[in-house]
Amino acid sequence: MTTGAVATPAPRYRSRSRLQHLTVQSAPLLLALIILAGMVALYVGLFFRQLSRFPGMFEWTSVVNTSMPLVFTAVGQSVVVLTRGLDLSVGGMMDLTNGFAAVHMHAGAGSMLGWSLVVLLIGAAGGAINGVLVAYARLQPILVTLASLSIYQGLAIKVLPEPGGSIPLGYTNILANPNGPTGLVFVGVIIAFWFIFRRTRFGVGVFAIGNDEEAARAHGTPVRMVKIGAYMVSGVFAACGGLFFAATTTAGDATSGDVFILTSIAAVVLGGISFFGGRGSAIGTVAGAFILTLLTNVLFFANIDPLYQSFFQGLFLVVAVLLGTLIRRVVRLR
Amino acid sequence: MSAIVASLTPDRRRILFALGAAVLVFAVGDVVHSGFASPSSVKAILVIASFVGYVAAGQTFVILVGGIDLSVPWVLNGAAILFVTTSVGRDDRAIPAVLLTLGLGVLTGLVNGVGIAYLAVPAVVMTLGMNGIMEGLTLGLSKGLTCNSCAAYAPKAVQDVIQKNVFGIPGDLLLWLGIAVLITFVLSATTYGRRVYAIGNNDTAAFLAGINVRLVIVSLYVLSGVFAALGGIVLVAYGGQATLGMGDPYLFQSIAAAVIGGVAILGGRGHYLGTLAGSVTLVALVSVLLAENMPDWGRDVVYGVVILGILLLYGREKQHV
Repeated sequence: MTTGAVATPAPRYRSRSRLQHLTVQSAPLLLALIILAGMVALYVGLFFRQLSRFPGMFEWTSVVNTSMPLVFTAVGQSVVVLTRGLDLSVGGMMDLTNGFAAVHMHAGAGSMLGWSLVVLLIGAAGGAINGVLVAYARLQPILVTLASLSIYQGLAIKVLPEPGGSIPLGYTNILANPNGPTGLVFVGVIIAFWFIFRRTRFGVGVFAIGNDEEAARAHGTPVRMVKIGAYMVSGVFAACGGLFFAATTTAGDATSGDVFILTSIAAVVLGGISFFGGRGSAIGTVAGAFILTLLTNVLFFANIDPLYQSFFQGLFLVVAVLLGTLIRRVVRLR
Repeated sequence: MSAIVASLTPDRRRILFALGAAVLVFAVGDVVHSGFASPSSVKAILVIASFVGYVAAGQTFVILVGGIDLSVPWVLNGAAILFVTTSVGRDDRAIPAVLLTLGLGVLTGLVNGVGIAYLAVPAVVMTLGMNGIMEGLTLGLSKGLTCNSCAAYAPKAVQDVIQKNVFGIPGDLLLWLGIAVLITFVLSATTYGRRVYAIGNNDTAAFLAGINVRLVIVSLYVLSGVFAALGGIVLVAYGGQATLGMGDPYLFQSIAAAVIGGVAILGGRGHYLGTLAGSVTLVALVSVLLAENMPDWGRDVVYGVVILGILLLYGREKQHV
């Protein structure tokens, strides 16, 4: 695609190339949405076969509520992956934050709001440590976050040695309302924030670094600050994920976050975000998170032993990457 | 002395540092707990370090070309369970079971390698996916380790090979020594070894020099799978039975051992001798802390902090690269 082609006078040609441009850019996102639609259809179909009725309000509410922790954690992970980084510590951060919330939070608006804020600050601090080590100490993201994963996991066990604690009912009703899919409001907020984020200097910097760090630096992007910011976003979103997880399960478990390392990366990849940075959208990640949650339900209604769950998650992850690569290749060939 | 150190190549200096760190940990441990550096204590620690060392051998191979293998926990665990369920404690089945289990390592490594080298899947994604695949298969096929043969012990013959002393040295350590010599030879003195370093330093240049880059990368992931499977066999031969989650600590420890040993995570630099020293340092450090009655959480935190500290000492990338 040369600039010469765009500059040709025929307006019809220009609009077509713009449409083409849009499809090329959003092909992975479209794929994610198609997989999501297929997954919903599969879920509804299997549900109907088993129970001779369609999933109702209760079922959809449960799908939304069980998806929310992953939605948050995976969106945070997306921002780091977009900078060509990786955050393995999200699992430890979720361990720490959901345990912390379960130990400290009590009924009453002040306690709930105050401790939520503290938890988000923990997430920001944990992310900042990762970010500083990656940006200023120039360490490999995978090593830094593997080490901080271990640290956060340790702290989580210190905070909550055995599964327990409790989350006030009022808090559960706000974050994971069992009576209706109000969690979708949070999804809406995330998407709204995403559109704002993409247009901020920070957001543009994230994409610029992912595409070409040297070029971004040369053009005046404050590379180090943006990287630290990206890891802080990941930390805060993982902390949100921990809060939602605690609210859904109404208790804390200092090892429950570990599975989110695999699933958050899987959701990012399913959502069509390139692992080589700079390409993708958090909307795809949200779709990816819902796909993975629905997968669990589909396996259940397909009478597949839940022990095989990680098998299918792993398989999905690999197949999604292969599909993404394939699509990029096909698109480029055109 | 310092002149000798300065005259060494950076790679050799790192191996020396890793060995020095291991000696230092033993020395400090002996001051804190008398008898920590006694022969029997050192032997026990070396045996535990060997488990890390086997898995870290595979990890070293893939890190040398800038890759990583996150699938080791469940390849190891699946291999351990496959080994006990196929041998069911019978000596006559020991050899076929060992071969079958190593075959599982070959297979998982092959799939990883083909995905990474030929289908351009990022190593992190491919091996993380493989870890999930192996976890699901292991849990599902063994019905959560409740199958009839899942509680079987490793064959007596295999247990003896690993546990019995030969000239006062446990068989396990002799095996480790043999593997270390073999790997060092392969990496330093064969064309295959030179190819590995060439790819790690610059895969395009290696390709242009006529190296079949993809094939070599596949072979390295196969080796990683085999060593993870070997780790599983040795662990059950040492402990007797397989458990769920037995592979989990080895992801972090295998990568950490390689990094402590001076293997550059971006590839092209490092030796197995460094990784070996790194395994000993790591395990000795944990043993000191355990002897200090350090709780589980503290050990996790110390692990992380130690790795970060070592990374800060010499794991940094050059500026603006």
